[in-house]
Amino acid sequence: MGIVRFIIRRLIFMVVLVIGVSILIFFMINAIGNPIEILLAERPGISPEVIESVKQYYRLDRSLTEQYLSWLGNVLHLNFGNSIVYNQPVGSMLVTWGWETVKIQVLAILISLALAIFIGVTAATRQYSKIDFGVMSTALLGRSLPGFFLGILLILTFSYWLGIFPSYGAYSTRSPLMGSALLDSLWHMVLPVMMLTYFNTATLTLLIRSNMVDVLRMDFIMAARASGLSAGRVVYRHALKNAFIPALTYLAILFGLMLGTAPVTETVFTWPGLGFLYITAIQQLDYPVIMGENLIITLMLVIANLLTDIAYVFIDPRIRLE
Amino acid sequence: MTAAEQPSTRKPPPKHHGTRRLGMWVLGWQRFRRNKTGLLGLVLVGIVFLVALFCPLLAPYDPNDQSAMLEFRSKAPPSWKNPLGTDRMGYDVASRVIYGAPTALVVGLGSMAVAAVIGIILGGFSGYIGGMADEFLMRFTEFFLVVPIFIVILVMVRIFGIVVVGTPLEEIPYLNLSTIILILGVFGWPPIARMARAEFLRLKEMEFVEAARCIGVGRAGIIFRHILPNALPSLIVIIALGIGGSILMEAMISFLGFGDPKAISWGQLLSFNYEFLKIAPWASIAPGMAIFLTVLGFNLLADGLTDAFNPRLKE
Repeated sequence: MGIVRFIIRRLIFMVVLVIGVSILIFFMINAIGNPIEILLAERPGISPEVIESVKQYYRLDRSLTEQYLSWLGNVLHLNFGNSIVYNQPVGSMLVTWGWETVKIQVLAILISLALAIFIGVTAATRQYSKIDFGVMSTALLGRSLPGFFLGILLILTFSYWLGIFPSYGAYSTRSPLMGSALLDSLWHMVLPVMMLTYFNTATLTLLIRSNMVDVLRMDFIMAARASGLSAGRVVYRHALKNAFIPALTYLAILFGLMLGTAPVTETVFTWPGLGFLYITAIQQLDYPVIMGENLIITLMLVIANLLTDIAYVFIDPRIRLE
Repeated sequence: MTAAEQPSTRKPPPKHHGTRRLGMWVLGWQRFRRNKTGLLGLVLVGIVFLVALFCPLLAPYDPNDQSAMLEFRSKAPPSWKNPLGTDRMGYDVASRVIYGAPTALVVGLGSMAVAAVIGIILGGFSGYIGGMADEFLMRFTEFFLVVPIFIVILVMVRIFGIVVVGTPLEEIPYLNLSTIILILGVFGWPPIARMARAEFLRLKEMEFVEAARCIGVGRAGIIFRHILPNALPSLIVIIALGIGGSILMEAMISFLGFGDPKAISWGQLLSFNYEFLKIAPWASIAPGMAIFLTVLGFNLLADGLTDAFNPRLKE
C-alpha cells in the first residue's frame, strides 16, 4: 500500500471518529430533554410565547437530526454558536481560553522533553548504578501519584508554607508582579507547569532510558566507539537518534491529550483555561461550549495520532503500512 | 561488598526442577517471591483489603459523627483524640479515610469485573476466530482507545444524575457511584481486549491446543479449558493495572465535583476539603496519601506479576 493510500485511509477513519464522538455527545446531552426547557425550569414565570420564540430562534422546534446537521454545517463554517452562560461566540472563547491552556501545557512538554533526555541518557549510560536506581524509582513513584494530589502538595509547600508562588489564577487581580505583565504571568505559571512537567518527565524518562539501554548494546554503537568517536558523540548523536523513536509517540500523545488532561490541572490551580471552562460548562449545561470543546479535544487527539503514524513511516522505513 | 562475595548472593535454582511437576502458578509465585517491589505492592494491596474488611473495628469514630462540631473542634489538627485531625464539618479524618477503603475497592474491582467480561469475550473471540470479525472488532477497539474517555465520562455522569431525578431509579442507594463504576467498566475494556486477543492468537497455534483438538475437544472446551487458563497471568496483570487506574479515575471524577456526595470516597474527601486546604491541610493530605499508596500498590503488584509470569519480557 502506498503512503498516499495509507494517509487517505487514516484520514477517513479520523473524520468518522470525530463525527462519531460529536454525535454521541450531542444525543447524550439531548437525552435529558430540551436545553431551553431545563434552563427555564429554574426561572419560572416566562410567558409561553417568549419560550416559543426562543425555541424558534435556536431551532429547537426541529427534530434532533436536523439540529445536529445544522450544528455540523455551522461548524464547517467555523461557527460554533453562542455560549448560553457567557453569551459570547464559542469560537472566540475557545481561542482566548485555549491560549491559557496551551501556554502552560506546551511549556511543560518542552521542559520535560529536555529533562527526560538528559536524565534518561544519564541513567542509561550508568545502568544499575545508584543514579539509575534513584531515577527509576522516582519515575515509577511518579506514575502512581495522583495529579491533583501533587498539585495540592505543591500549593501547600510553595504557596502556603514558603509563600513564594501564587496558588490560583493566571494573573494578579491588583498590581502585577514588579509592574511587568510578562513576569506576573510567568510567576503564576510556575506551579501548574511544575505539576505537569513532573508527570510528563516521569514517563518520558522511563521510555528513553529503557530504549537507550537496548540501543547501547547494539553492534553499530560498538562500531562507532571502535572507530574512535568521543563518548558524548556516540551517545547523543548515534544512540539517542535511534532510542528516541518510541518516545516520539508518547510526545504526540502528550500533545493530543493536552486538552483532555487540562480539567484536573486547571481545577487545582483555578486556571482560566479550556479545562476549567469545560468543567463549568458541564455543571451549568452550556451545550454549545460542551459540543465545541469536545470537537476540539477529539480533533487534537486524532491529529496527533495521524501525525505519529506518518512520522513513523518516514523515520523508520522498515515499518510496513499494514 | 567484595567481588568474591557477589556470586553467593544469587540463589541456586529450585532443587525440584525436573523431578516434580510444578504448575504455572507455583513457578510464578517462586519468581514473584524474590521480587522486592512486587512484594511491597502485594503488602500495600493487602493492607487496603484488610482495612476495607475491618473498617468498623479500625475507625475511631462513626464516619458520619460530627460531634467535634459541638465542642468547637472542627478543623482541629491531629491529636490523641483525632489521630489525623478533624475536617471543616467536624468529621474525624482518620475514620473517613478508613471508610474510603471499601469504596475504592468496590470501584476498582467492580469496574474491572465489567471491563474484564467485555474485554475477554470480545478479545478472545477476535483472536480465536480471526478474519473479518477480528478486523471489525479491532477497529471498534481502536475507536474506544482514541476517544477522550475522561471528558466523555464527565458528561455522562452529570447527565445521568439529571435524568434519574423523579424516576424510581432515584431510590437506589449510591446510584451515582454505581453509574461511575459501570461507565468506568464500559470504557475500560479495550486494553484487556487487546491483551486477550494477543494471547489467544499466540496460544491457539501452540502444540497443546492442537493436541486437544486432535483428541476431539470442542471449541468451547479449547477456549475455556485450554487457552483461557494459560492467558490468565497476562490478563491478571492488565486487570491489576486497571484496578489502580479506575480508583484514580473515580478520585479525579469526584475531585472535580461529579462524584457521589453520599458515598465516602477519597476523591470526594479531597473535593470536600479543598476549600479549606490552607486552614486544615491534614484533611486533604490523608485521603491523597491513601489514593497514592493504593494506586502504587496495584501498579507495583502488576509490575511484579509481569516479571514473574512473563520472564520473556524481562531483560
